[in-house]
Amino acid sequence: MSAAGQVRLVARREITTRVRDKGFIISSLVIVLLVVGVMIFQLVAGGRTSTTTIGVVGGNPSVETALQQAGEASGTAVTVTELPDEAAARQAVSDGDVDGAVLDPVGDSPQLLVESSGSVDDIVRSAVGALSVGAQLAAQGVDLQPAPNVSVTELDPSDEDDGPAVVVALVGVVVLYGLLILFGQFVAQGVVEEKSSRVVELLLSTMKPWQLLAGKILGLGVLGLAQMVLIAVVGVTGALALGVVSVPGQLIGTVLVVIGWFLVGYAFYASVFAAAASLVSRQEDLGSVLTPTTLLLVVGFFISIQAGQDPGSGLATVTSFVPGLTPLVMPVRMAAGDVPLWQVLLAVAIMAVAIALVVRVGGRVYAGALLRTGGKTKLREALTAERA
Amino acid sequence: MLEFDGLVKTYGDNRVLQGVGFTVAPGQMFGFCGSNGAGKTTTMRIAMGLARADAGEVRWRGTALDDASRQRIGYMPEERGLYPKMKVADQLTYFARLHGAGSADADRAVQEWTERLGLADKRGERVEKLSLGNQQRVQLAAALVSGPEVLILDEPFSGLDPVGVDSLADALLERCRAGVPVVFSSHQLDLVERLCDAVGILARGRIVASGTVPELRRREGGRQLRVVVPDAGPGWADGVPGVRVVSEQRGDTVLELDPATDDQAVLAAALRTGRVTHFARREPSLVELFREAVAA
Repeated sequence: MSAAGQVRLVARREITTRVRDKGFIISSLVIVLLVVGVMIFQLVAGGRTSTTTIGVVGGNPSVETALQQAGEASGTAVTVTELPDEAAARQAVSDGDVDGAVLDPVGDSPQLLVESSGSVDDIVRSAVGALSVGAQLAAQGVDLQPAPNVSVTELDPSDEDDGPAVVVALVGVVVLYGLLILFGQFVAQGVVEEKSSRVVELLLSTMKPWQLLAGKILGLGVLGLAQMVLIAVVGVTGALALGVVSVPGQLIGTVLVVIGWFLVGYAFYASVFAAAASLVSRQEDLGSVLTPTTLLLVVGFFISIQAGQDPGSGLATVTSFVPGLTPLVMPVRMAAGDVPLWQVLLAVAIMAVAIALVVRVGGRVYAGALLRTGGKTKLREALTAERA
Repeated sequence: MLEFDGLVKTYGDNRVLQGVGFTVAPGQMFGFCGSNGAGKTTTMRIAMGLARADAGEVRWRGTALDDASRQRIGYMPEERGLYPKMKVADQLTYFARLHGAGSADADRAVQEWTERLGLADKRGERVEKLSLGNQQRVQLAAALVSGPEVLILDEPFSGLDPVGVDSLADALLERCRAGVPVVFSSHQLDLVERLCDAVGILARGRIVASGTVPELRRREGGRQLRVVVPDAGPGWADGVPGVRVVSEQRGDTVLELDPATDDQAVLAAALRTGRVTHFARREPSLVELFREAVAA
């Protein structure tokens, strides 16, 4: 069997065992549900444009139009309810059925009943004012013409609003971060499982350590990518269907960027996690060797959140070139749209060099530590140990 | 021929192997004996590419073993190891495929070997749910499912009950008759004596004795006599020239003769004490040969 054939077999085993694992299936479903949940929340939260209900006693049909126009001007949709008399109006206001009630809006002394003064005052005042002016002009015999429309010419049209893209990138980075941790853990646990069960000796009698490592990382990587794509498809479809995001091109572009950075980040972190995990022989010891790397991920995550608020900050700019932090920070900066292409390419290049380095050194550590069962292998020992 | 040639291995100051060499012919069952820490496992791990020899090499059919040829070797490591959460059949199929078997061949071999090793009803079980004895059988099956050209087994019998030992021994003998050279290490010397065509005894980093068991007997123990003289007093043989008393219990005496000593002179001396009820060349057991070889 060829070297690549062995790698393929290892990768396939990683995929089939994970796919049959109940814990994995459940966690995958939970993540997808979470994404759908976030969108529904967005929809409900974003869809609550304020509405104001105003009760009217007396007056004529023009009152309703005037109130609605006044409401529109102050960013509120106004619903008008006809009320029979003042008593009913007081009742409706104190019951909270209406936000305010206007008595005699077209008379000489209109009166507004409210629980306490608020935005309703202005709406009613401007509506009553408009009605009064209209009535007086009409009384003078002035024939009112509708006001001309203002046509707008953009001299410097700004790009599409970057706000939604940054939000999408942030959601993407949250998913990316979660999946990097999850699949990094899978890689680490797999490495330790093979060491602690000592099956690794049997495995290494048929292949080289690098083949085992490559197969494991590739297999879980394919699975991670599949999960990322699944979440992206559910997210994009849902976002478009629910109307959370209005610009599909921008949305899909941002999602693709996040997926690309996931692959880069996974290659880096999976290699580091695998090398770190190979130093220990028991699952219980895993935490201590993974912590430094996990911390780097957490730092990157928080910087990317910060970058979401201020993508142009020095911190975001600098950290987007730091290996390990790049995959988390750069997508947010890119979504904000102020990253020159050369910076993106430079960041990719730096990560590529870092990955090559990590794979090389990590592979050595892995190969050196793999057959040292029992206790914890020191990094230096692993690097100088003979390799099978 | 499977040839272990001049293997040298040093761990720090510990010179584990100092030129270990022996040869196993196709169809030969080779028992690899030695005290704990003598270097049996290291020797086997070098053959499997899990440790690197400082000098020497292991050859199969005249060429040094490499990754490709190792895939045709069935190996049972001393450190038993299987995926605890994987099902028996899935696991065995995986190992068969890692050894280069095609998908259909692997399935067929898994069916066959689980049947033969009494694991037919365990195919769908996770390995961690099995008893230790059954885990051991799965481990052995993992070495056999790929239809290997060579078998290298480190302590394959340890931990097995007598029934397990028999089914394993049958399987090994069958493979051996099919022309597969089999090397296994064991502390159960009676088993080695029963099963093996050839034996190698490893001590102080070298093979101190090797060959078929009869050969070893001739070489090591051929000069021993057992004489039973019920009427003789203690020390009856002390005066016989060229003879050393190995043991003496109420007339039941084991003697070691110098090469030049005539056994008929010993018989004459025995007859002088009275009745001789037993007089024969003694066949030392492998245990004794082993003690002798290791102590020398």
